[in-house]
Amino acid sequence: MAKKIKNKEELKKLAKDFWYGKPHGERHLGELYIEKTGLYKHREWRGVSDTMYYFYNVWLYNYAMMVYDLIRYGGLGVFLKGVWRYRWVGQTYLTVMHWFDRGMEGMRGEVLRAAPWHYRGMVSETIRQFQHMFAADANLHGGKHNDAWHHTMAHNETVWGGIFYPWRDKFENVAMEMIPYFVTCHVNSHTVQNYIDAVQSIGLPGDPCPMCQAEAGLFVLDDMPDYSPFVITSNEACDASVSTSILQDWFLDKPLFAMPQPMQFDDPLVHKHCMNEIEECWKFIEEQTGVPFNWEMLKKHLEQQNELQEFEHEKWEVSAKTNSYPINGVAQALYRIYYSQDGDHEIWHHCDKKVRKVLERCVRNKTNTFPNTRHRVIAWSCAPLFFSNWPTWAYNCWGLNVIINMDSLMFDMTIRTDSYEHALEDMATYHMWAPMRRMAVGGMHHIFELWENMEKFNCDFVMMYDQLQCKGMQGVHGLFEDEFRDRNIHAIWMPHALPDSRTVTRAEIRRIVNDYMTTVMHEEPLDPSLLDFDDSMGW
Amino acid sequence: MKKCKCKLGKLLLKLLGGLLVANVALFLVFFFDLDGKLLFYVGEPMLKKHYDNMPRKDTLKAPYDVDKYPSYEY
Amino acid sequence: MKDLKHLIYFEDLLQEANNKLVQQAKSEGKYAIGYTCFFMPEVLLDLPGCFSVRLRAPRCTSPDIATYYMSARVCHYGRSLFERALEGGYNFLDAQMATETCTVTCRFQEHLQRMDVIKNPNFFCEFIDVPFKKTENSYVHYREQLRFHVLGKLHEKLGVDVSDEALMAAIEQQNEVSRLINEIGDYRKLDNPTITGYEFAVIQLVSLTCPKYLILPYLRETAEELKTREPDAKPDFRCKVVLAGSENDDPDFTKLIESCGARVVCDRYCYGAVESRQIIHVAEGQDPLDAIARHYLDASNCPRFMPQDVMRGRKKELARLVKEYKADGLIVASNKFCEYWSYERVIDTIVMKRDFDIPVCSIEKEYINAASGQLRTRFQAFVESVEIKKIQEGK
Repeated sequence: MAKKIKNKEELKKLAKDFWYGKPHGERHLGELYIEKTGLYKHREWRGVSDTMYYFYNVWLYNYAMMVYDLIRYGGLGVFLKGVWRYRWVGQTYLTVMHWFDRGMEGMRGEVLRAAPWHYRGMVSETIRQFQHMFAADANLHGGKHNDAWHHTMAHNETVWGGIFYPWRDKFENVAMEMIPYFVTCHVNSHTVQNYIDAVQSIGLPGDPCPMCQAEAGLFVLDDMPDYSPFVITSNEACDASVSTSILQDWFLDKPLFAMPQPMQFDDPLVHKHCMNEIEECWKFIEEQTGVPFNWEMLKKHLEQQNELQEFEHEKWEVSAKTNSYPINGVAQALYRIYYSQDGDHEIWHHCDKKVRKVLERCVRNKTNTFPNTRHRVIAWSCAPLFFSNWPTWAYNCWGLNVIINMDSLMFDMTIRTDSYEHALEDMATYHMWAPMRRMAVGGMHHIFELWENMEKFNCDFVMMYDQLQCKGMQGVHGLFEDEFRDRNIHAIWMPHALPDSRTVTRAEIRRIVNDYMTTVMHEEPLDPSLLDFDDSMGW
Repeated sequence: MKKCKCKLGKLLLKLLGGLLVANVALFLVFFFDLDGKLLFYVGEPMLKKHYDNMPRKDTLKAPYDVDKYPSYEY
Repeated sequence: MKDLKHLIYFEDLLQEANNKLVQQAKSEGKYAIGYTCFFMPEVLLDLPGCFSVRLRAPRCTSPDIATYYMSARVCHYGRSLFERALEGGYNFLDAQMATETCTVTCRFQEHLQRMDVIKNPNFFCEFIDVPFKKTENSYVHYREQLRFHVLGKLHEKLGVDVSDEALMAAIEQQNEVSRLINEIGDYRKLDNPTITGYEFAVIQLVSLTCPKYLILPYLRETAEELKTREPDAKPDFRCKVVLAGSENDDPDFTKLIESCGARVVCDRYCYGAVESRQIIHVAEGQDPLDAIARHYLDASNCPRFMPQDVMRGRKKELARLVKEYKADGLIVASNKFCEYWSYERVIDTIVMKRDFDIPVCSIEKEYINAASGQLRTRFQAFVESVEIKKIQEGK
């Protein structure tokens, strides 16, 4: 009789788990992995509603939309040519749904309905950019410079897309490294290793910033499309970025305009200089394209970009003051840095509209979007690109909920458009603050803005990224140690080498977090199966 | 007329059946991560082999003309 | 060759930042102003009433506490300077005039700003922003930075006379140093030079680290002495090289190269004379500060300059130096973790050899080269390869 009752209870439990999904502590997500590969024996069952939502509205929808994007941005023919020619697209972007999976593991309910929109935005904009690169690429067109080639402006990925707004109606601007390098690291970390190795093979030591190494390595390996008649580059964000331009210029061998930004951006005296640099860049573009600067176009897109910023502020308000923020740490970080650097595009507005609906619903219903949160975490400094989904893992394993990160906060400004002078002045500030800059240079006190943001976002825990090859961040290591001690703040140093998963592996990062959580925090994992698993060959 | 309706109904049924089968098939691909497995075990190694073996320009032979470009000052 | 009269004295002056001449100037009531980078014009720090000291950290092989603060993964130079500061080695400084021209020296100077390291209650550290181009926009920006952050602060905090007359006097003093250093250095252009690279490195370094008005008499005497100095009948070198690269304030590195048979005839690196000892010209009616700003941007071949023509022009300039100094080869040395020179070294190594037919030895070094065995092997091999090339060319 007792056995029967037990079976009945088990059946009820099974049915409940089937319908609603298992509660957090019983999921054993780590057991879903196939040893070493990061692949799933099967994808997670999240209950009927969430599994079906993920299947139809995320997995199937995004596969379909990718095909749609490929067709509307140049067609499948161009895409296939690009896949055959360039490693970074073929080896990386076909695996994009696994990137969704890694970011969305364990997510339920409203988070599952909001966060994937951020991914959708990034995927669509990535496709738009690489399709445009291929359409204009002389390498794919027998060395011919077609109309698209003549109507595309190439620039370093640290040059903000907003610089090119005045020509938006006639020209496309595509960053050279954003798609071939930066985004690839998140989707498939294998690809970038080829570029790092390539640049070291010509004599570059292993210690400079690996991001810059990869950016230069793309050229060494002849894996950069030739899609524009000229190039704009910048000194953002560090010494190695400046130096990368030396090698890039050699291999590009086309007119190159350097638009360096002042380092000491707090100094009011630097502003005029910076504004002049931007204006000189615009004159260079006019000279190269023969098309005059269009203030109305600039104004229009700045205003549209301001709308994105406005919504970002609303999102931050919710994430700082409530438990109802439906975006997980990885989606917040990647989407924010992507659109802020890329500039205004229709897809961001589309995705924000979708996210706004979910956000408003969450606030209205006071939904606790991350109910197993033990610590509200602020992530500071530059993140490991090959393990950008670590916040998802950390939440599932330890209840560490990443509320905000440093990169999100860098671009925090609205640009005035009431006059040309004001717009230019604010654009200068934006550029000086933006790509990996605001907290990293211009006086080390900026990096200590951590404390005020910790308070603002109501965080009690710091994940301190320790980019081993970032000289700027390594150079303040001890002061942070001192501050953490003095302020009695729990902080985990997360060592990594930005895109290079070989220097510090994902498993090592997890071990470091595990060690801190057990030995210092004396906490038990929410999902012990995630403590240690082998994904060494995973994307 | 009746025959026609019957035909249409059959067609609809077939269509629905086809959709259902496709749905189930896609769900199986999704649930068992067959897309991931195909890419990991077949797609990526094949492409990798292709990229590793493709002829590439020796970029170190690229010219470096020290006088080629003017000073862009405005 | 006969020993230079003041060489041992000069070597002694280089043992400490707070050397005898610095102490003498301080006792005479002068303000000591530290700096690290060429882009902080030393001439402005040598205005009447103060004197410049380009910071070094000789014999610092184990910067332990600095490594706690800055980690082991940044340039040894920056860490060594900070270690020396923590040890009290720079307590004589009244101010540090700082630049954010490379990350790690910037961080070192920021530590001076943030932590109470320099035990001098009136000590202050001021930063300037240095442009990355040599355009009118950059000249004006740089000049105004110098006016506000250097002249402004020196006057405001130390009461230094920053008038045009004072600037002209400082320029005159600096030009005299430069003329003497160039006169001394020009002996390296002889077929059989009457000065070694090591000796010249020592002389150049004392001119950077000692109060100018106190070192000048010694420089004058040395220049006079060199006029009659006879070279060894049989040269003790097998080839002549230009040494280019990143920060280098270690004359023993030059000595190491020379001990392998290569005479260092030109020093195009941070702390070298090629750029820092060019004459500053002030045109009739020109604002002296404007002349200084233009001079320091124009004279520099630092790899942080980004314009395309300047990036490429650096190679031509390097080739010109090899020719001017009648060198047989080029050694490009970058400090480990120096990002600017890591990249510049790569392209120099490939392009200088390929396009200019100049043999290149590419070296990554530490700030203090305690373990020199490996380097010695590299240099010896390079000297041999240059010799073989000379034989093949029938020279």
